Amino acid sequence: MSMPPPDNIWVVIAAYNEAAVIASVVADVMAAGYRAVVVDDGSRDRTAEVAASAGAALVRHPINLGQGAALQTGIEFALARGADTIVTFDADGQHRAADIAGLIDALARHNADFALGSRFLGTTVNIPSSRRWLLKAASWFTRATTGLSVTDSHNGLRAMTRRGASHIQLRQNRMAHASEILHQIASSGLKYVETPVTIHYSAYSLAKGQTLFDAVLIVLDLLARRLYR
Amino acid sequence: MIAQLILTVMLLAVVLYASMSYRQAPVIGLFAVISASWGLYFVWVPSHATKLAALVGIGRGVDLVLYVWVVISLIMLLNLHLKLRAQMELITRLARKIALAEASQEK
Repeated sequence: MSMPPPDNIWVVIAAYNEAAVIASVVADVMAAGYRAVVVDDGSRDRTAEVAASAGAALVRHPINLGQGAALQTGIEFALARGADTIVTFDADGQHRAADIAGLIDALARHNADFALGSRFLGTTVNIPSSRRWLLKAASWFTRATTGLSVTDSHNGLRAMTRRGASHIQLRQNRMAHASEILHQIASSGLKYVETPVTIHYSAYSLAKGQTLFDAVLIVLDLLARRLYR
Repeated sequence: MIAQLILTVMLLAVVLYASMSYRQAPVIGLFAVISASWGLYFVWVPSHATKLAALVGIGRGVDLVLYVWVVISLIMLLNLHLKLRAQMELITRLARKIALAEASQEK
């Protein structure tokens, strides 16, 4: 398996009220040579305009649906544009476009369909210890429920092949999609690898991150999902 | 007798409602049908309700029936919640379609 030409790599960025940082995130991704699609999830600020003028392709949800829904929209957009590889990337400036090459390389090297970024294999900058423990607990829960051996279940930086992406059908609109994506990877039976990535925590990204209360809601979401088809 | 008739009608409505929603939420539907059927039985044979109530430590059979009713209401509430979620999924698919259609138009 050879490296796909960079032209067919799409980076999906789901954004909700990220006007303050989205331009630099898009610039970072595009400077690294990838195509970027920003899914504006019904933002009330100027996220869409800023993202478009930064050069990203833009898809706008008419209403706010949640990050999971936005990622699914972005994945479908990229597939429709003939993407060979799709990368999901957070809009809040936590991720580094420099890490994308490592993920794509991992896909090719291991002949895998999913490369999942792990901050616990890589480095974290300024991570508060409460956040570290919450993420560790979430990963433990995911390992227990999916049987996947992952060290970081709630990392938004991942790469997938076209085949992998077509197995993903997110129905959890809100934050429970991170667990859902892993469930779907597990049930697809396709190969996945974990790749170290760097997460930069800033006051801005921390304010946008998940709390223990959110974690409880996520678990409830996942349970509710099992009660109906 | 009047109370029994009214309760019977209401519980039958629950059974009907639950069996109709069985397709969307099998767990909830089945549970609601079973509890409503027990309710019907106790409405017509209250002495058994009293015996069972005494067995589980509730004073009167009427109270037991009342508690069962409360449980059924909660289950229906949960079912309603699940239906709302299912609706949200439909809205999501609709909104996604619109978003993708608009995006390809702008191209």
